[in-house]
Amino acid sequence: MWSAGRGRAAGAALLGLLLALSVPGSGAAKTGAGVVTCGSVLKLFNTQHRVRLHSHDVKYGSGSGQQSVTGVEASDDANSYWRIRSGSEGGCPRGSPVRCGQAVRLTHVLTGKNLHTHHFPSPLSNNQEVSAFGEDGEGDDLDLWIVRCSGKHWEREAAVRFQHVGTSVFLSVTGEQYGSPIRGQHEVHGMPSANTHNTWKAMEGIFIKPSVDPSAGHDEL
Amino acid sequence: MAPQNLGTFCLLLLYLIGTVIAGRDFYKILGVPRSASIKDIKKAYRKLALQLHPDRNPDDPRAQEKFQDLGAAYEVLSDSEKRKQYDTYGEEGLKEGHQSSHGDIFSHFFGDFGFMFGGTPRQQDRNIPRGSDIIVDLEVTLEEVYAGNFVEVVRNKPVARQAPGKRKCNCRQEMRTTQLGPGRFQMTQEVVCDECPNVKLVNEERTLEVEIEPGVRDAMEYPFIGEGEPHVDGEPGDLRFRIKVVKHPIFERRGDDLYTNVTISLVESLVGFDMDITHLDGHKVHISRDKITRPGAKLWKKGEGLPNFDNNNIKGSLIITFDVDFPKEQLTEEAREGVKQLLKQGSVQKVYNGLQGY
Repeated sequence: MWSAGRGRAAGAALLGLLLALSVPGSGAAKTGAGVVTCGSVLKLFNTQHRVRLHSHDVKYGSGSGQQSVTGVEASDDANSYWRIRSGSEGGCPRGSPVRCGQAVRLTHVLTGKNLHTHHFPSPLSNNQEVSAFGEDGEGDDLDLWIVRCSGKHWEREAAVRFQHVGTSVFLSVTGEQYGSPIRGQHEVHGMPSANTHNTWKAMEGIFIKPSVDPSAGHDEL
Repeated sequence: MAPQNLGTFCLLLLYLIGTVIAGRDFYKILGVPRSASIKDIKKAYRKLALQLHPDRNPDDPRAQEKFQDLGAAYEVLSDSEKRKQYDTYGEEGLKEGHQSSHGDIFSHFFGDFGFMFGGTPRQQDRNIPRGSDIIVDLEVTLEEVYAGNFVEVVRNKPVARQAPGKRKCNCRQEMRTTQLGPGRFQMTQEVVCDECPNVKLVNEERTLEVEIEPGVRDAMEYPFIGEGEPHVDGEPGDLRFRIKVVKHPIFERRGDDLYTNVTISLVESLVGFDMDITHLDGHKVHISRDKITRPGAKLWKKGEGLPNFDNNNIKGSLIITFDVDFPKEQLTEEAREGVKQLLKQGSVQKVYNGLQGY
């Protein structure tokens, strides 16, 4: 807990920058980049179209009229952060690795709405509209997505798919782009089939390391 | 007192000489026993790092040295391999190379730009654009609020790095006046940019240690300076972890007090009972009753609540409320007679307004 009164000397700042380049972590054994755990905050990168899953306080002009979800090219936008939460209350405590086949909710950090889809057409491609819905992380059953990956847990380096529990569509991008006021952003929608348009990878983020739980049966790669 | 002091001093001197020859006593530097857990070590480091930081002790000529010792101590004792080697062979026995410089360890606990004291506070520098802050809700159990904990987190973030060439920066609209003829001017709006060294965003990773301090309250925040989103023309924002205490199946928190409920049988309520409640850290709270316990009766156990955030030595109370489990099956005629005989309680049947305190 801090009180006020923070500043920084330019010299120390430079040192900090230089040190950021040095070996990260203290004694962290690198068996791959690790797994994604519940409670982690991250950006999702569509491997085919190279955009990040994104939302903002802009509503769709058609379809459901709910808050829009798009893909953006920038890597430094705080509106691209999503929090991984359990599908049900208490179902995935902080630090539990997400299993392949597990249902999760993705909550948009800055607006508190959940990644959501429903039977409305998407505005550009006429696929299924994907929106951000709810209040303060509480939405409804259409906020649940199954993490589809191979192996036991969702590895940070792996390309995974998100399949909607309620309507079975896959979270996808096919390249259509919006005009004003969100010029250049890509449409994100739901598609019924698994293909190269719906693979996503965890990129920037705050990843909570798996809690040391002897009963979790954590496999080493 | 004085001769005792002298004796102790001599011993201390000898001991110090001994340690200088044998290498540093890392346990002593951190102020922890040899049996300290990794959690204790992290906690001790974090507390001392703030106290001993050279920026905080500008008048102490040995400040830098003490700070380096602290970093070295943490680096060895926080790594199980190195700690084993150190325990057996002392500092001399530690293999090769060091060591990430201490600044790196410091930033695990406090962020990229550390916690710098003095100078201009960051917020006042409004001319320097800042990247976004990120607030991450950190779910915390009551067990962690009771005993404290450290959460290790990997921060992967884009960092602005020098790149070859130049780029446009500080772009702004400006009014340009052009002369069309003698006495005739035209004002147009133009976008004007400066030239800056080129930067590109590169993803980098580091481990951060978030401390859950005992007694921490909901919505308290732990900031990591400079670990937020970058800004190509300025400084990065901060990363803040906001504590969110989750519900517990057994205990309810009210401030520093804990509330819990116990259901006892009708027999136990009448004749008394003995039981243990397992507390958040596993220790047992013993309850012994030999009197009648009425439904709704409350028992106060002082000192069995949560530690106070500002002073961990003060603890709140544990308040236990009892409710009585009545038999589910109806009593036989015989049993009813038996009960009447046993309790020798006449009919009461008092009618009153219970909702208004009568």
